[in-house]
Amino acid sequence: MKRLIKTVKSFTLWELFQGLFVTGRAFFGKKITIQYPEEETPISPRFRGMLALRRYPNGEERCIACKLCEAVCPAAAITIESEEREDGSRRTTKYEIDAFKCINCGFCEEACPVDSIVLTPEMHYHIENRGDNILTKEKLLAIGDLYEERLAADRAADEKYR
Amino acid sequence: MFTIEINGKSVEANDGQMVIDAADAAGIYIPRFCYHKKLSVAANCRMCLVEVEKMGKPVPACATPAVSGMKVFTQSQKALDAQKAVMEFLLINHPLDCPICDQGGECELQDLALCYGEDVGRYTEGKRAVADEDIGPLVATEMTRCIHCTRCVRFGTEIAGFRELGMTGRGEKSRIGTYVKHFMQSEVSGNIIDLCPVGALTSKPYRFTARAWEMSQHRSIAPHDCLGSNIYVHTRGYEYSDFREVMRVIPRENESINETWLSDRDRFSYEGLHKDHRLTGPMIRKEGKWLQVDWPTALNFAANKLRDIINSKKPDQLAAIASPSSTLEELYLLQKIVRDLGSNNIDHRLHQSDFSQQENAPLFPGMSTELASIDSMDAILLVGSDIRREQPLAGLRVRKACLNGATIMRIGSIDHDVNFKLSENVHTTPSTLVESLQAVVDSLTSDANKSSIAKHLKNSEKSLIILGDEAQSHSQATLVRALCLEIAKLSNAKIAIMTLGANSAGAWIAGAVPHRKAAGENSSAVGLNAQTMFSQPRAAYILLNVEPEHDLIHSSTAIAALMAADFVMSLSPYMSPVHADLADVLLPIAPFTETDGTFVNVEGKWQSFNAVSPPYGEVRPGWKVLRVFGNLLELNGYDYICASEVRNELEKLLQHSNVPTDRTSLEKNTSNKPKGFEILYEWPAVCVDNVSRRANALQSILMPLQRTVSISSETAKDLGIQSEQLITLKQSDREITVPARIDARIPNTCVLVPKGVSLTSGFGDGFAEITVQRGESHA
Ligand code: SF4
Ligand code: SF4
Ligand code: SF4
Ligand code: FES
Repeated sequence: MKRLIKTVKSFTLWELFQGLFVTGRAFFGKKITIQYPEEETPISPRFRGMLALRRYPNGEERCIACKLCEAVCPAAAITIESEEREDGSRRTTKYEIDAFKCINCGFCEEACPVDSIVLTPEMHYHIENRGDNILTKEKLLAIGDLYEERLAADRAADEKYR
Repeated sequence: MFTIEINGKSVEANDGQMVIDAADAAGIYIPRFCYHKKLSVAANCRMCLVEVEKMGKPVPACATPAVSGMKVFTQSQKALDAQKAVMEFLLINHPLDCPICDQGGECELQDLALCYGEDVGRYTEGKRAVADEDIGPLVATEMTRCIHCTRCVRFGTEIAGFRELGMTGRGEKSRIGTYVKHFMQSEVSGNIIDLCPVGALTSKPYRFTARAWEMSQHRSIAPHDCLGSNIYVHTRGYEYSDFREVMRVIPRENESINETWLSDRDRFSYEGLHKDHRLTGPMIRKEGKWLQVDWPTALNFAANKLRDIINSKKPDQLAAIASPSSTLEELYLLQKIVRDLGSNNIDHRLHQSDFSQQENAPLFPGMSTELASIDSMDAILLVGSDIRREQPLAGLRVRKACLNGATIMRIGSIDHDVNFKLSENVHTTPSTLVESLQAVVDSLTSDANKSSIAKHLKNSEKSLIILGDEAQSHSQATLVRALCLEIAKLSNAKIAIMTLGANSAGAWIAGAVPHRKAAGENSSAVGLNAQTMFSQPRAAYILLNVEPEHDLIHSSTAIAALMAADFVMSLSPYMSPVHADLADVLLPIAPFTETDGTFVNVEGKWQSFNAVSPPYGEVRPGWKVLRVFGNLLELNGYDYICASEVRNELEKLLQHSNVPTDRTSLEKNTSNKPKGFEILYEWPAVCVDNVSRRANALQSILMPLQRTVSISSETAKDLGIQSEQLITLKQSDREITVPARIDARIPNTCVLVPKGVSLTSGFGDGFAEITVQRGESHA
């Protein structure tokens, strides 16, 4: 019986028409054209793009040099050196992410106890010179400052699922 | 011995043993915080609650003696409920700041909270916070994290003998602290870092620099005293990478040496290994300027110079002086090179000035018993020993013996403070030290037991005489030693010569003495010793890990001789200002963490260790440098491939050695009481070698007394000065003006010169006559 159905299907080109049906639906449907890069499709607040370090509203860096992100990173992309800052708090003296190694998995963000390291929605970036792939602490904080509003909003939107 | 049942498994237990001990022995884990096998039972954390059949409530396993037939359940519902409840209470006031806590990742509370804690707390009220005290440069405090297990307090009172830490207040107000705000003055305070199960007490030099999971752990041996404490060195960075760095040192348990403890010097000296202090590559001096060169250039330069001197003059124009903290391999190769070049002038006895009867010495000075047996002595006589600071962990054992009821007695010129009860304390001057010992001998030989020290020694079944640094560096050291041997013989006591450095015993065995070759074989010609090699200046010198301005008791003569020499070659990880002045070649050799080597401890135990991190920069292990140097000098038999080959060669030689035991005999007491002032030297515990002198945190605990020259109050009155005013010391045409301090430990007409500190750098010429005057600025 099965074999009979199979034979009939292959002689009537059933599967071909099935596929053409999808094509036809798009062909006659409403057309969407995104004028990329002038236009972009909306992205989820969970989008995982370039990395950044955030600050508290008072300007203090969030990172407390706990090194959990370094420990969890599956690509070993993060390098941290830490010491006691003059005021006695625990701070990083070096915080570097190698953008070539990073696989944008977001584990570091998951691990961070103070929401310091985050993945921004930014995906348009390129690296021209060797060495620029190392995102230093200054760069990461600067990216964070640039995107802070968006980052805070995204996190607020996603709050109830966390 | 009887059996109890734990979780259905029958387990052997002894009378009086606690359930937790029996469980540990059987490999059944019971959670705990306050219990520690070396401390008394406090039973105040209640984490170890277990269910015992026929007992209504859960009982603490650490305070419940095992009873025959007892049935214990550590994982039953009742036990688990109790443990979980305790954990919830402990976490009520804990700040839960693991991300910024140095204990994070190796914390007992963290581990147990994972097993017994709930994921959500029910406590919503305000938490308690406790102000932190600054208790010194070694231990950082974060007292809000404290769970009041009192391990630190018990360690202080029971083991180390400091009552500085204690618990005040009750209930929620209880807190641990020093009652009066002050810095802890203990030579073993670092152990409370290991003991604290949470992050309330952590290491200050290590603070916030690394995480437990980043580290690799390596076995090694502590390089600062003759015990050879076992340690773990923790390093960070990939293996073989140049970035691998020593982050900290912690004790490795060895019941027969350091138990579970470690002295602060051994724990924090790693700071001295830091790159900032180190030489990066070999250097030679050309026309008064230091040039960084590569190894072949430096070694060839040195070899040519040495060969020239030996060819143009006599081979005995070469002398070598080595630190007793060098490894066995380095010392063996150094003496081999010196002897192959035809000289016997080699020594390692940096603090010694009496070398008579050196041929009667045993294979190596050490102890005629084991370290662990100190605990069970009935009487201990300390001769010129500040055991508490010289060998801190042996000091802990003396204290333990004292607590077990032993009588501890002391004869010595400096009245060091001790952490045990001194039944007899004979405070002598250097010249009357001999008389006091003679008096003990006399009353042991005659029946009239006049001296109570003699009485105690004679009436004790097991007694021990410990000779410290003062006894060995005494101007009549041989006589002191002979008298001690005599006392030991007459009272049937054991004797322990607590030598300098980590490897004095090894230096004797390796042949780094002028009168004996390796493995104690007598040398046909006797070379010059650590004193005469400088008082009869030579043309060429080799220094191994020695800083002449600090390490030698004859600093000023030595520096003069070295300055005048044609050629000085220094093998050391560091360059000191004096090295820069007098050396011609600096060969940077690896400190103990970067080389393979062996230390022989005071008991004669050979303990080998491996490099834990790659040598810094162009630095090379000392044994390799000496091996290549031997080849460049065209000597035979320097084809070792690894350090253990050197060691094996020496071990083979040792099989045929037969050096008899100590035959130092009593010679006539030629009392030579100097006119005027007598000089006493003291190497503060944290200034004993080139590594510890560079450990910043350790240096900052130097007591004020060790930063000044000490005199007695009578002397001060005679000179008409007050504490901290200047005095001028003059000895063999060297003169220094330094602040003096009135020190109750010092006998009258004596002056105590601290060595190894910058204050007295280059000063000191053994026991040559010294004059003490008021300092100029007051004249
Ligand atoms: S996103 Fe993933 S790969 Fe990239 S740094 Fe974070 S943890 Fe590492
Ligand atoms: S970014 Fe976050 S997880 Fe990483 S070290 Fe800083 S605080 Fe810790
Ligand atoms: S400081 Fe640490 S060792 Fe001392 S009582 Fe508190 S938790 Fe225990
Ligand atoms: S370990 Fe038993 S009560 Fe603390």
